[in-house]
Amino acid sequence: MARIEFDRIRKTWGDVVAVDALTLTIDDGEFVSLLGPSGCGKSTTLLMLAGIYAPTEGNLRFDGQVVNDVEARDRNVGIVFQSYALYPHMSVRENILFPLRFKKVAESEARRRVEEVAKLVHVDELMGRRPGQLSGGQQQRVALARALVKEPQLLLLDEPLSNLDATLRMTMRAEIKALQAKLGVTTILVTHDQIEATTMADRIVCMRAGRIEQVGTPDDLYLRPTSLFVAGFIGAPPINLLPGEAADGKLVINGFALTCEGSVAGDVTLGIRPESVYFADAGIRATVDQIEPMGRETLYRVNCPLGSITVLEGGSTFHRRIGDVAMLRFDLGDTLVFDRRTERLVKGAGAQLSD
Amino acid sequence: MEVTFGALRDQIQKPWDRLAARARWMRRAKLAAMYGFLIAVSAPVLLPYFWMVTVAFSSKTGTVDTLILWRAMAILLPFVFGCWIWSTIGTTARQMFFGFAAITAVAVAAFVILVLPDLHLGNFIFIGERNFGDIVRETRTGSKKGEVSGGIDFPSVWLAFANSLYLAGGQTIIVAVIASLAGYYLSRFEFAGRAAMLRSLLVLHAFPVLTLIVPLFLIMNFVGLLDQLLGVMLVLVGFELPFAIFIMKGFFDAVPWEIEMSALTDGASRRQTFVRVVLPQVTNGLIAISVFSFIRGWEEYIFVFTFLIDNVNWTMSLYMFFVRDDILGIDFGLVSAVGVFYLAPSLVLYLVAQKYLAQMTIGGVKG
Repeated sequence: MARIEFDRIRKTWGDVVAVDALTLTIDDGEFVSLLGPSGCGKSTTLLMLAGIYAPTEGNLRFDGQVVNDVEARDRNVGIVFQSYALYPHMSVRENILFPLRFKKVAESEARRRVEEVAKLVHVDELMGRRPGQLSGGQQQRVALARALVKEPQLLLLDEPLSNLDATLRMTMRAEIKALQAKLGVTTILVTHDQIEATTMADRIVCMRAGRIEQVGTPDDLYLRPTSLFVAGFIGAPPINLLPGEAADGKLVINGFALTCEGSVAGDVTLGIRPESVYFADAGIRATVDQIEPMGRETLYRVNCPLGSITVLEGGSTFHRRIGDVAMLRFDLGDTLVFDRRTERLVKGAGAQLSD
Repeated sequence: MEVTFGALRDQIQKPWDRLAARARWMRRAKLAAMYGFLIAVSAPVLLPYFWMVTVAFSSKTGTVDTLILWRAMAILLPFVFGCWIWSTIGTTARQMFFGFAAITAVAVAAFVILVLPDLHLGNFIFIGERNFGDIVRETRTGSKKGEVSGGIDFPSVWLAFANSLYLAGGQTIIVAVIASLAGYYLSRFEFAGRAAMLRSLLVLHAFPVLTLIVPLFLIMNFVGLLDQLLGVMLVLVGFELPFAIFIMKGFFDAVPWEIEMSALTDGASRRQTFVRVVLPQVTNGLIAISVFSFIRGWEEYIFVFTFLIDNVNWTMSLYMFFVRDDILGIDFGLVSAVGVFYLAPSLVLYLVAQKYLAQMTIGGVKG
């Protein structure tokens, strides 16, 4: 197990900056997710941890010791790729055994550990098969077993669930999370899927264009995003972002004026989660444009003076039809105001309907 | 506006059974045409081999008798024609099987009655007899033993066989080792001149090798490799390498990076990763370039003819050439027999490696 420290890490490929000014500490036994769109530098970061890439600048520390120049094979890091990267010419048993071949482990001891870890991830029935004869979920488990058999001080998961179907993904999510908690191994999950990140990780590092945008618990990122990017990236269906202009305690969006709290001025964007907008007896007049029943809840796209916004209503039945007119409200505490120039959250600011 | 989707669809109600019958007929016609075409284009390639084999086993020294050859043809052609017709008539797997079985049975019976009794191994005299040239001349002229001589001094055919094996095998090993290392490097590493090198690999292959024969002769002479099998081997390696490297690069390109990264984090060194994880993924490519290199070495004629002089260095192609030079006017059966002997190993190799060679297009030649 290890405590990982990134100290102003920078990685460039010629003129292209993949990762910049990355400073972050991951505690021993923590489950952290690197979340961001493709090309944000999260995979580069992962490969730097694995020792495939060396940072251009800055220091990477495992338990306080700089490991920049330590080779991949000496780091004892377990990694599970999106493609699983099993060795196709070896059986499942040989695949799991492979990492132990390079360690000073007696053959009988190695066999025992392979059996043990195979049981742990439920692939002990498949030991004689080749990866090509396994389903995606089984391959994933074998890859996990192979990463865990060497008892790594750090487990890296690179989009491990992307190639699985929806049901299996849910099962594996829960299993990996439980396994991580049980083994207590420091784990870093790289993903572009916010659901994966929020459901599995203790902490999420949201990245954008090689830099950290925000670090926090899933709650922090969802309820208290510090930037426009994080607010837009986290949450499905996505947050309503309404550009407007603020002055003298008024926030004007599309010519419609809201009452504004906090020190807000100039070009701002108002953010409201779909579930924070609700139908009421009085409020903004809106017309229903589209209805998407999602089972537990219903998503309405409505047209109102603020623009086209989405409203999420709980309950499995829906009472409105396309073309219906309804009144909308939202509360001051549920709104977020972002400065459009800096793309940062304006702390303590909010907006509500003028009475 | 009302959308009238379906109005057009309802107008074109089809007589399904007639359409189905037409489709079935078309399928058969296409199949027949395709097989017919394949047979037609392969005939000029395969027939000479068929003749060579038949002549090698049937012709007798001193006679110019082509009766057996024509009989064999009279069996082969109806057999092929019958198979072709039946392949378009038969529909079920059962019909196919019994049809082909019947046609084959008739052909085999005809072969046993008309051809088999006249086959013999007399033309393969060269296998155990170095002095076969004089012997066939004696048989031909009816002279007594020891009276006729003056032909070419042949080495044992097994020496030529071993030389060919050494030349082709040695060349293959060198090409396989260098091409897999170079192909891997070209596939995985970025270095100055990489793109230029890739392009030049293909250009190199475009030059006719014969143009280099004089300078190569001089070089061989200077470095003392003239009249040595090793010299020819190195020349062949030089000409085979560009293509082999290019093919291997394509195969390495198809191996995902993640597998290598996995192996590295699993504790393997770069060399261990290459040998234990990457190489096993490209065995098909390795087999393909090995077979091509081997056959290229086995059939090599121009360079061995130019650079090898002493008859202890003769390869099978030179042996074949001199047998033709010496005996063809006397005994074309024997020349054919040498041909069969020369052909057999590469034929076996091709048959064994067939499925790997076919994958070369998949493993892919991509930039």
